[in-house]
Amino acid sequence: MKLNVIRQRGLWWTISVVLILASITGIALSLQRYGAPLKPSLDFIGGTRLQIERDCSQADNCRQPINLATVRNVLTQEGVGGSSIQLIDDNGLSIRTAQLDETQRSRIITALNTQVGKFDPARTQIDTVGPAIGQQLLSAGLLALLVAFAGITAYLSLRFKLDYALFALVALFHDVFLVIGGFAILGLVLGLEVDSLFIVALLTVVGFSVNDTVVIYDRVREVLEASPEQPMDDVVDLAVNQTLGRSINTTLTTLLPIVAIFFLGGETLKYFALALIIGFISGSYSSIFIASTLLAWWRNRQQPARSIAAASGVVAPTDDA
Amino acid sequence: MGRQRSLLLLILVLAIAAIVVIVRIPTRLGLDLRGGSQLTIQVKPNEEVKNISERELEAVRKVLEERVNALGVSESVVQTSGKDQILVQLPGVDDPQQAERVLGGTAQLDFRLQSIEKSAVLDVRQKELNDLQSQLFQEEAKGEKADQAAIARLKTQIAEKEKQAQLAFEDVFERTELTGKNLKDALARPEPMGNQWAVDISFDEAGAKQFAELTKKAAQTGARLGIFLDNKLVSAPGVDAKYKDTGISNGNATISGGFNQQAATDLELQLRGGALPVPIEIVENRTVGATLGRDSVQRSIYAALAGLVLVLLFMVIYYRLPGLIADISLLIYALLTFAAFNLFGVTLTLPGIAGFILSIGMAVDANVLIFERTREELRSGKSLYRSVESGFYRAFSSILDSNVTTLIACGALFWLGAGLVKGFALTLAIGVVISMFTALTCTRSLLLTSLSFANLRKPEWFCPNLVPAKSQPEAIS
Repeated sequence: MKLNVIRQRGLWWTISVVLILASITGIALSLQRYGAPLKPSLDFIGGTRLQIERDCSQADNCRQPINLATVRNVLTQEGVGGSSIQLIDDNGLSIRTAQLDETQRSRIITALNTQVGKFDPARTQIDTVGPAIGQQLLSAGLLALLVAFAGITAYLSLRFKLDYALFALVALFHDVFLVIGGFAILGLVLGLEVDSLFIVALLTVVGFSVNDTVVIYDRVREVLEASPEQPMDDVVDLAVNQTLGRSINTTLTTLLPIVAIFFLGGETLKYFALALIIGFISGSYSSIFIASTLLAWWRNRQQPARSIAAASGVVAPTDDA
Repeated sequence: MGRQRSLLLLILVLAIAAIVVIVRIPTRLGLDLRGGSQLTIQVKPNEEVKNISERELEAVRKVLEERVNALGVSESVVQTSGKDQILVQLPGVDDPQQAERVLGGTAQLDFRLQSIEKSAVLDVRQKELNDLQSQLFQEEAKGEKADQAAIARLKTQIAEKEKQAQLAFEDVFERTELTGKNLKDALARPEPMGNQWAVDISFDEAGAKQFAELTKKAAQTGARLGIFLDNKLVSAPGVDAKYKDTGISNGNATISGGFNQQAATDLELQLRGGALPVPIEIVENRTVGATLGRDSVQRSIYAALAGLVLVLLFMVIYYRLPGLIADISLLIYALLTFAAFNLFGVTLTLPGIAGFILSIGMAVDANVLIFERTREELRSGKSLYRSVESGFYRAFSSILDSNVTTLIACGALFWLGAGLVKGFALTLAIGVVISMFTALTCTRSLLLTSLSFANLRKPEWFCPNLVPAKSQPEAIS
């Protein structure tokens, strides 16, 4: 298989631009509907989530199906009737409300216990986050993201020439943006919320998706070392094709366990895994098609007359050290 | 070959040591996996303490620790976090609501003495209030003929009077020196009659002396004692006249005030733990039931095994003999990493396990880079041995770059992230570092050793459909 990355770069760029426009649309719609680029979970805006499940080992406890109207009624009495209530597998309930203190929570649980059925405390999950803590989590997460970006830029510019690092960063933004856009759309369509694990996923994408770019750039440097006379377009084409197998396979091996998490890892990790899947696939795509073609385009624009030999990396190439 | 042999021996020893560590040292599971509550408590300034200093924070931590101990939760953790927060971990609590109640109350207990003159003022106010209320009642009873203006006027008057009565009431009890600081012990018990509960308290020496003094005064004047908890009157017992010479001198008292069992037990726990110097608020509570935690562990194990098997299969099918060797290294990797978690006491959380599973996939990335390079070298006609060697040699820079960038992201997450998120950064980072060893050293030694067996020395086992540019005899000594 031989890919003509350079000749068809219009196509690759169009695909990316379309995806980015879709992301921007998703984010814009989400801003309009939720007042935030992504539908935030209580991790970031504060609130209480009660997840309870009826104890079906007790006789007659689960005979009646859970009546959501009863549940809504209990919540209305506590003044949080507008909360979201979700039924999980017939006997479980997930209730998301404004922040409740311990007294209100106990009253709700007691009322549900008598009106809906006995709940199993060992299957209860409570998350209560104050608005201030939510802010704290969000700003810490965003700061971590910024620091990671800065750290990786610094490292890449140390290892490669500045323009290499810059385009690797463009590819990185591309990936992070697509994950954010993807989840904005999922938030609109499925009501999916992003929690602090989402920021972890973004950071992981930042750390990982630059890998394929590095492999390709390494090879670009190597090819340039070996034959400085070649035009940049051919060099990039060659480098991409020579490293295509490993670009795909490294992403594939990393994706296999994540797919396992997606299907088997349970509710908490499911969308974390999905964010990684989107990010890693996008990372692979942007390395092969975007970072490479942008570099070639830039170098051709910058130094059409100068000797291409000057384009080789500053750092000692990989094959002799 | 001597060097390879000693490396292999080292790997073998490490693998055995890892198994021993995994068997002997238990894995520390986070609260989200073993069940329990994690509370973040915000320490707040009040009028007296405007700024929360390290001293206040530490004082609050001590009190909370006492209370947690009083709850009887084993392996609990109470630690300060940042400038004004305290993190409390309560593994396996079966009543998170109680924990929150007990931890959240300030429990400022103090004893006050009734002032007779001011009580008289209160009595007057009370009577005035009663009069107004009965007037209102009469007016309202008239039904349709009622004078709405009069009702409205009376309502305003009542509201005003209630305020006055409240002020008079607050004056009635005068503060004394005796507070919860002088407590030695507290014990909740049911009252002999009815189904109410009370809390017996005993004072330390200074407290006992003050209490005797206080009760003596009360017995002489017929004033009542006011027992206040967080500025709320919980009971106002009278003191029998027989104590007017000595006071109650044994240093014991009882707080009763319509408690049920739960309220009495909570108060006991709070009193035993002492009062908080400043108010606090529970700003975050993450509670996971024990069964849910167990389910998560089970699902994580399935996901990890499935992920591992998928990667193992992929490697051996795609990369043949080196793939098989990478698989062995990957298993050693999993052993070493897990042992490292146990050895360094890493607390495994659900995101932490996700980090570990993710690292399984990343660990073989280095091998993918190496084997692809090896194939390339083989295709260009190099000998098997030299292809393998240069595969490792030439792929190293890319491998280092990829791992460093991942570590940078982990570092940012670890230093700036909070709570559960840190677990992910830590496990992923440990995984990345260990994978550098297994994917490079381990795979290399195993691969070079396998090349010393003539019947394993088949290039097509390294690269299918190999059409070498020129054939070269194998040269291995």
